[in-house]
Formats: sequence, structure tokens, C-alpha cells
Amino acid sequence: MREADAAGTWHADEAMLSAYGDGLLDAAGRWSVEAHLTSCAACRLQARALVDPARLRRLRAALIEVVDVPRAGVAERLLVRLGVADHTARLLAATPALRGSWLLAVAATLAFAVLAARVQRGPDATLGFLCVAPLLPLAGIAVAYGPGIDPTYEIGLAAPLRSFRLLLLRAATVLGASALLAAVASLALPRLGWGAAAWLLPSLGLTAASLALATTVEPLRAIGITAGAWVAAVVVTVAPPAPSSVLFATTGQVAFATLALLAAAVVLLRRGHFESDRGFDTTPRFAARRLR
Amino acid sequence: MSVSPDQPPSDTELLAAVAEGDPEAFAALYDQHAPWLLVRLRQRTANPDLADQVAQETFLVVWRDAGRFRGEGAAGAWIWGIAIRRLLDLQRGRAAQERLAGLLGRRSEPDAASAEEQALVTLEHREVIRALNRLSPELQAVLQATVLDGLSTREAAVLLGIPAGTVKTRAMRARARLRQELA
Repeated sequence: MREADAAGTWHADEAMLSAYGDGLLDAAGRWSVEAHLTSCAACRLQARALVDPARLRRLRAALIEVVDVPRAGVAERLLVRLGVADHTARLLAATPALRGSWLLAVAATLAFAVLAARVQRGPDATLGFLCVAPLLPLAGIAVAYGPGIDPTYEIGLAAPLRSFRLLLLRAATVLGASALLAAVASLALPRLGWGAAAWLLPSLGLTAASLALATTVEPLRAIGITAGAWVAAVVVTVAPPAPSSVLFATTGQVAFATLALLAAAVVLLRRGHFESDRGFDTTPRFAARRLR
Repeated sequence: MSVSPDQPPSDTELLAAVAEGDPEAFAALYDQHAPWLLVRLRQRTANPDLADQVAQETFLVVWRDAGRFRGEGAAGAWIWGIAIRRLLDLQRGRAAQERLAGLLGRRSEPDAASAEEQALVTLEHREVIRALNRLSPELQAVLQATVLDGLSTREAAVLLGIPAGTVKTRAMRARARLRQELA
């Protein structure tokens, strides 16, 4: 009924365990096994044979799915406290572009741009900074939408939020965070003034334009196109004799404000396209990744 | 029945890692404890779906509350303490659940292996076994709930559907009977 090993410790043998599993033991045997299992790892391992492996795997997969999600961080708890609904807070806080590593990268990029501006000391030393700053929110949104990057990608698909709202929420969050950092960075520019904030309208315009484009092509491609267009525009408009660009003059700024408004209108009109699976890959390809 | 030579992390270490939010440690803990938990739950309920549900919720509580395990007693006993209470809740429905929440609020943590439990682990004597088996099913049920499952008198009363006073007298009678048989 039971056996003792060399040390004289009691262990439940295989036959006793299987009789226990089948409910065939008397009270004393049952209780002995139960009390023993709570503290003996070796016998627990033996108990594995009593359970259907498929059942164990199914339960395990379900649990891992719940557990393998970032826990509520400081940002998420703050959002919840501010009255944001739980699931919205989780999605926002889990935006990859809001993770420390990303923010650090943005801060470093801006710091370099500021440093370059300070070293250069030309008539338009801030040009580099102004060119880089609008690209940061774009990169942030790209990061937010890569299925391979976002740990909550599947939750995003299954969340009670519609894709459109989620897209806007995240874009706004990323834009806000990048703009805040860029605003802090522009305070460190050598010549402070209205010109130091000339990146803001292009940022808005480019972000809105990429969202508008995302109604027809994949979000990542839309962002790539917008970023490419921006870089091309900067390169073309920077006149060699006096390194300055019309983009940061009044004309350019007005143009970007207009672009932002137009793109916003397009996004609003075509928002239905975000709900269909065009542009957003909703195949279970990525969901399968988690069920190891 | 040999223990593997390369020592895997202990339950206490695993629980500490789980408290830090380590999913790998959680998976390891699950692999260690889910099988016996499911088997033991099946001894308490005939409904396999209910057993699965209780096991799942138990591990979610473990995930959330691993930090509450203070390392006193076996982790298995702590996990069972969570599981048997989940089972209790689910079996008794909402009304009882709320009643129980009140009780649990006042109750201390599920305690570590009691002296009786230790005695059961090291059961060596035929007489003890015979004495336990000779107890009436009612007395056995009370002993199982209070000693083995570590429930309080009031929780056992909820589980068994008898007044708390009855649980107390039956537990006393069961112990007296055992003592008398073993004397």
C-alpha cells in the first residue's frame, strides 16, 4: 500500500496514487495521499500520470494567455485613477511607443539634434532638429502597429474598442508623448523663438497624413510613404546657399496646418476602412504565436 | 521514488518569482501543482468542468497574490487553501459567496500543516488507519474539512451544509473517538 525509501520517509506509490485518483482509497489512505501531496514534489510528479495531458495543456494555455500580458504599470494605474476605463488604460499603457526604451530612444535622438544645433552655430543651425522632430511620432506609431512588436497585439484585436478608436487613441498618445519631449528639447536650442517650435505643425500634418493613407494601404507602408515624402521635401527645399527651408517658414507652416486638417477630414470620412481587415491583419497567424 | 539530482527551484522560490511577475516561473509552478490539484479537486466534486474552473481560478489567484505567501508551511497547502475556498464559493452560489466573503475577511490565512496533518503524513500504524476508517462518514467529512482542507469551523459548516455548532461537536467527537481507539 505504501513504501518507504532509504531514509525511511513515507511516499505514495504508483498503485496507491492511481487508486486515489479513482476514488478507491478509504479515508485514511485518501487523507494520507492528500496531505502528502501538498509537500512532496516527487509524488506530485507521479500524480501527473493521473490527469489527461490534453486537459492540462488546455488549462495551461488559457492561463498563460491571461498571465503573459504586462501587468498594470505606473502609467496604467495612473490612467485608471484618472478615470480611464480599465481596458483602454491597459491598451494605452501597453502602447509600445510608451515603453521606457522607446522614450529613451526619442530623448536621445532629440538630444543629439539639439547638440548638433549647438555645435553647428550657423544661421539655421536648428534645421536638423526641425527635420528630425516630426519623424519621431511617425516612428512611434509605426512601432505601435507592428504585430511583431506589440505585446498586446492580439488583445488589441479582441478588445471591445473598435480599431478606429484604438488607432486614434494610440496615435494621440504617441503624438502627445513625442511632442512633449520635443517641446522640452526645443527649449535647449541655441536660438529660442517661434522658429524653434516649427516642428509642431509638420508633426501634426505628417501624423494625420499617415493615418489618412492608412485607410488605403497598410499602416506601416503609409507611415513609410509619409516619412519618405517628408525627407524628400526637406532635401528638395533646403536651398544650398542659405541652408533654410520653406517648410519652416510661414508658407510651409500654413501648408502643414492645412494638410493636418484635410487629412483629419479624410480619416474621419474613411474611418470605416479601419474596421474591415484591410490594412489591419486580423488573421490568427499572430495569435498562434502565444500558444506554445 | 527518487528525487531528481539536479534540484529544480523550490516552490517558495517559484512563488517569489511569480510575485515579481515572472510568467516562466508561473508556468513552472503550474506544471508542478496543476496535476495533483486537479486530481484532488475531483475528489471533492464530481463535475470535471467545475474542477477545471476552480483550478484555473486558483492559479489566477496565485498569480495575483503570490506575494502573500509568507513561506510558512508547504506551498501546496497554501494553494489548496485557495482552491478549496474557490470550490466552496462556486458550489454555494452567490448568496453563500457573499456570506463567505464576510467570513473570510475575518479569518486568518489558511494555516500551515497542523499537527494532525503531520500525523497523517507519517501514519505508520494500522490502528490509526483502522480507527480513521471506522469513523462515521459524518465525522470523516468534518475531519476532512477542518483538518485536511484547513477550513475554519464556519467555512466547514458552509461546505457541509450543517450548523457551525454541529461542526464543532462532530470534530470534538471524532477526535475523542480517535483518541479512545488509539489508547
